[in-house]
Amino acid sequence: MISKSISQSMKGSSWIRAMFEEGERLKKQYGEENIFDFTLGNPITEPPPELKRELRRIATSDIKGMHRYMSNSGYEDVREQIALFNKEKTGLPFTKEHIIMTVGSAGGLNVILKTLLDPGDEVIVLSPYFVEFKFYIENHNGIMRLVETTDDFHLNLNNIESAINEKTKAIIINSPNNPTGVVYGEEELKELASLLKQHRQRGKRIFILSDEAYRKIIYDNIKFPSLFNVYEDTISIISHSKDLALPGERIGYIAISPRIEGAQDIIDASIFANRILGFINAPALMQRIVAQFQKNSVDIADYQKKRDAIYNILKNSGYNVVKPNGAFYIFPESPIEDDIEFIRHLQKFHILAVPGIGFGRKGHFRIAYCVEMDTIERSAKYFKEAIENL
Amino acid sequence: MLVSEVIKKQMEETGWIRRMFEEGIRLRNIYGDENVYDFSLGNPFIEPPEQLIKAIVELLNNPVPGMHRYMPNNGYEEVREEIAEYLKIHYDLPFTKDHVYMSAGSAGGLNILLKSMLNLGDEVIVPKPYFMEFKYYIESHGGNIKTVNTDEEFQLDMDKIESAITDKTKAILINSPNNPTGVVYKEEKLNELARLLNEKREKGKKIYLICDDAYRKIVFDNIKLPNIFKMYDLVISVTSHSKDLALPGERIGYIAISPKIKEVKSLVTALMFSSRALGFVNAPALFQRVIGKFQENSIDIMDYQKKRDYIYKTITEAGFECVKPQGAFYLFPKSPIKDELKFVKIMQEEERILVVPGRGFGKSGYFRIAYCVPFEKLLKATDGFKNIGKRYIKG
Repeated sequence: MISKSISQSMKGSSWIRAMFEEGERLKKQYGEENIFDFTLGNPITEPPPELKRELRRIATSDIKGMHRYMSNSGYEDVREQIALFNKEKTGLPFTKEHIIMTVGSAGGLNVILKTLLDPGDEVIVLSPYFVEFKFYIENHNGIMRLVETTDDFHLNLNNIESAINEKTKAIIINSPNNPTGVVYGEEELKELASLLKQHRQRGKRIFILSDEAYRKIIYDNIKFPSLFNVYEDTISIISHSKDLALPGERIGYIAISPRIEGAQDIIDASIFANRILGFINAPALMQRIVAQFQKNSVDIADYQKKRDAIYNILKNSGYNVVKPNGAFYIFPESPIEDDIEFIRHLQKFHILAVPGIGFGRKGHFRIAYCVEMDTIERSAKYFKEAIENL
Repeated sequence: MLVSEVIKKQMEETGWIRRMFEEGIRLRNIYGDENVYDFSLGNPFIEPPEQLIKAIVELLNNPVPGMHRYMPNNGYEEVREEIAEYLKIHYDLPFTKDHVYMSAGSAGGLNILLKSMLNLGDEVIVPKPYFMEFKYYIESHGGNIKTVNTDEEFQLDMDKIESAITDKTKAILINSPNNPTGVVYKEEKLNELARLLNEKREKGKKIYLICDDAYRKIVFDNIKLPNIFKMYDLVISVTSHSKDLALPGERIGYIAISPKIKEVKSLVTALMFSSRALGFVNAPALFQRVIGKFQENSIDIMDYQKKRDYIYKTITEAGFECVKPQGAFYLFPKSPIKDELKFVKIMQEEERILVVPGRGFGKSGYFRIAYCVPFEKLLKATDGFKNIGKRYIKG
């Protein structure tokens, strides 16, 4: 009954299931509060209170037709507000035409990949990476080309250059990064841009697809460098799952750079793709809400405190770890080579995390610290014991 | 090449829809919105039931902690339980929450279902006229659409279906009440279909019956929809609350898998994978909670029936040939001129009436009227239809 390719993909990830089930078993045995679950990027944070107020206000207002279909690209006034935000941020002439409201960034990426890819086209993805990228690309008959980043998870231009060939259509950049929490610096992005520009001069256009789901979750007063300002052929994919804590509502958007030559073709095809992929439009009520909260976000200082706490715990316990500047993930080295083995070891100490292999890099593991501070603090002892009892 | 060749080709196929849409905008600009009679869109103007709006407000006044977070990909357990309870009573079969999968409307539901089931080159039979998007949904996941003609009443034609079945046939996708015809498939026809599919099954060929039930609750004349789940084992129904609860913009619906399908567990696992891979992840959280309690409700069906009666009377009196529909909010009359695209343009130019040519549904020589508009619009368009009748039918 099930498609062969899906059965295949599901088999490949059966260890995730096994891990998940072990976690559930532990929770049942010892009680949920005694298990430190760092596996899921499903923040416990609530949306900002002003957003909740606005949601109530709009839902109780008598705006006619607010649950009807609208244009496949989304409400005009919503796109206008978002365009204005992007215009202010980048200084580029964004208009509502450049914005397409989508079902989160997962929806947005599928739309843009469907728009761009012909069978056999390649998309460069930087590893470690969010594994769903592979499925998104393959949905639309593209091929994922994995490229390793440096030891501290930054861009390796040589690796990227040697991965480019005539089939290369795009490169996905995800910064702040899932799973590493690393934020790419302006310099390295400029280098990437100049590499891609060289190819452009030789007649090869490569798009940067910038997955900016974690854009606002950034620490230490770092400024997020906008790719729009360094490279013309940039399309960014935004989600409000993390910055406004609305993951279940599936809302985000695609922003297509006004500097793209022939942008209109991409806009038209994206709107069409949004329809035929079955999204039709981004959920109506949430479109209205997020339009007004482009400048807002959940409490970032709270995440930064959690970042500091988990980083210090790991460091002090003797783990080798790159300090992340964004998102709510940290990606320490596994003290033993086999990361799956180490994850099983952590489970003995009631800690649940995801092995690096789940993100294309062995010998590491991912901790999602979008949990209660108390959970992080209480886990310190166990992280220490785990490494001491290897 | 900037955009994909595949999508470019698909867009060209539907380019005329765009041109028509633009013509509509042009007419509105010249004559004013009130003097243009737009029957081209299946976007009901009615509001959701009042109790439903109240339920949204109540939920937002008493928010549940974490109610905007991710939940399992198949949706909230308690919502699936509520729906299963409804299905159990309605279809008299042992549905449980595990047979229900929350989806982003039926468009989302169909896509994750087709992605989960289709192998490259698998065929899906679709009776025509049909909702054109089915073609793209099937093609997106490597399948091929095989359309088969219905009979003159737009009912299923078993001989045609039988001869369309090959080794590659994975499913039949039916849509009753039907878009674009408004026809409800008769019980005897569905029984014949079930018999045919059972014969194939005995010979070792499993063919799934996928029912797009988006218009299920919009049926007229006190008819009851046949219980398809009882007739055939391998049924999967995809439902939307776009029409019955008037929530099209919110993208909410569900997939109901027959309790008689043994592989339900692996199908749900595959659906979860497909939801994530295609980017839906889960059906929108807030509206899942809302619709769970409204399975028995719907917008005012009598209102649609009155409109159906009026528009049917109007166009038949004007001389059009038309099958009387018993559901949905569409009518699919025969075009008095063979080239219906030409006729549709005539209606636009001479009477400012906008409808969709039949080729948009795989059936030339007809056109679709969507009457989910204010009654007043139907009244005001009466003379236009009459004039057209005089000029092109009776004259």
